[in-house]
Amino acid sequence: MAVDWTQLTMQMLLVVLSPVAVGLLFGIDRKITAHMQNRIGPPIIQPFYDLVKLFGKRPMVMNNGQIVFAYAFLILQAAALALLVSGGDLLIVFFVSGAGSVAFVLGAFSARSPYSFYGSQRELLQILAYEPVLLLVILLIGYDRGTFTVSSLDMSLLPALSLALIALMVVLVIKLQKSPYDIATAHQEIVSGPYVEYSGPYLGITKLANWFEVAIVLGIFTLFYWNEDALFSIAGKVTIVAVALFATQVLDNATARLTRERMLKFTLLFGILLVALNMALVYLSKEGVF
Amino acid sequence: MRATDRSRVKSPWILHFDTGSCNGCDIETWALLTPRYDIERFGMLNKANPKHADILLVTGPVSMKVAPRLKNLYDQMPEPRLVIAVGNCACTGAPFEECYNVHGGVGKIIPVDVFIPGCAARPEAIIDGVVLGLKLWKRRAFSPNASSVSAPAGGVEVKG
Repeated sequence: MAVDWTQLTMQMLLVVLSPVAVGLLFGIDRKITAHMQNRIGPPIIQPFYDLVKLFGKRPMVMNNGQIVFAYAFLILQAAALALLVSGGDLLIVFFVSGAGSVAFVLGAFSARSPYSFYGSQRELLQILAYEPVLLLVILLIGYDRGTFTVSSLDMSLLPALSLALIALMVVLVIKLQKSPYDIATAHQEIVSGPYVEYSGPYLGITKLANWFEVAIVLGIFTLFYWNEDALFSIAGKVTIVAVALFATQVLDNATARLTRERMLKFTLLFGILLVALNMALVYLSKEGVF
Repeated sequence: MRATDRSRVKSPWILHFDTGSCNGCDIETWALLTPRYDIERFGMLNKANPKHADILLVTGPVSMKVAPRLKNLYDQMPEPRLVIAVGNCACTGAPFEECYNVHGGVGKIIPVDVFIPGCAARPEAIIDGVVLGLKLWKRRAFSPNASSVSAPAGGVEVKG
């Protein structure tokens, strides 16, 4: 089989550039949040300053397991993103990314620190809250389109799956560690949860892995719009991502942190209900009711 | 300037520790986070975690009880790091200098890079102190594998 080099280069560029884009989005996010609070805020490239600084600090480690799990977190998330941009199977992307999240939790558990333990318990609860919703949305995409392969999704999902898109917002808020669901990393409450025992370059690695994680969720958001014209397609995808991110910012600045129980109840009830409703609509339209 | 050096100056994360302050300097330190002073525009964040922090802001005279904890926090901060003593008490111990339960200034326990006098130190002075500390940082060569980076003897003082 001949290798399509231009396509391969494009895909590799996308894998490298997606976390850079997410870093810039985080910078814009901090700027907008600052303006919402009547502050000036840091420069847009602040997340990159933070990351480079962290990589330049002296490594301090609790144990070797911690480092291995941090690298596993990064590599698995990067692999999941590579699968997504190369038009792979959505379900595989979901499972690889999920394994990465669990590696992060294991890394946090490996340090004998109460905050780290508490944070990773909460991180597990968050995974329990968003994974079913994300999985159901992906299954719904598969049911609607008849395929899980990203490269063969050549139609806008938005008209048929708009309710599922709203359910995905819950996943985005949790992955971005924003209020009301910044439960694991709760600052002021349990310092920074699973990140607490990571320092210097290893904190940088976990941060970078989180950027990949967010890139994957935003990548799933971009699947909801598609157009014959590449320019229209990109404009639509960017609009969806921008609207979703702005909504999370407004939520972040307008709400306080909720309890773990309320997060579980809300995400599971509301998320699964929305996806189920959407699935019923898709079923009815397939049966030709409307 | 190398990218890491530049980033280090652009992103100083702060750990604030109260070693027995009357809360005056603490309130001035917290004022830095408010929209009026907004230190996040310099990339500074309050991290409340020694492992993530670059700058240790200490307020208050160091009491006997808190001294080992101060040392512990300092040891947990990965290098390169800065220690800034905020307020008269943290600089010298001020009125508590000869109390039976107080060591005196922060410099008695850990090396201090910048002293910020004042009772309480004004937020502007604290910002000046941090900026001065970052300038020191620029001058000081640091490589992640070097054995130790020592503070200048006696530190420097912000003209209040």
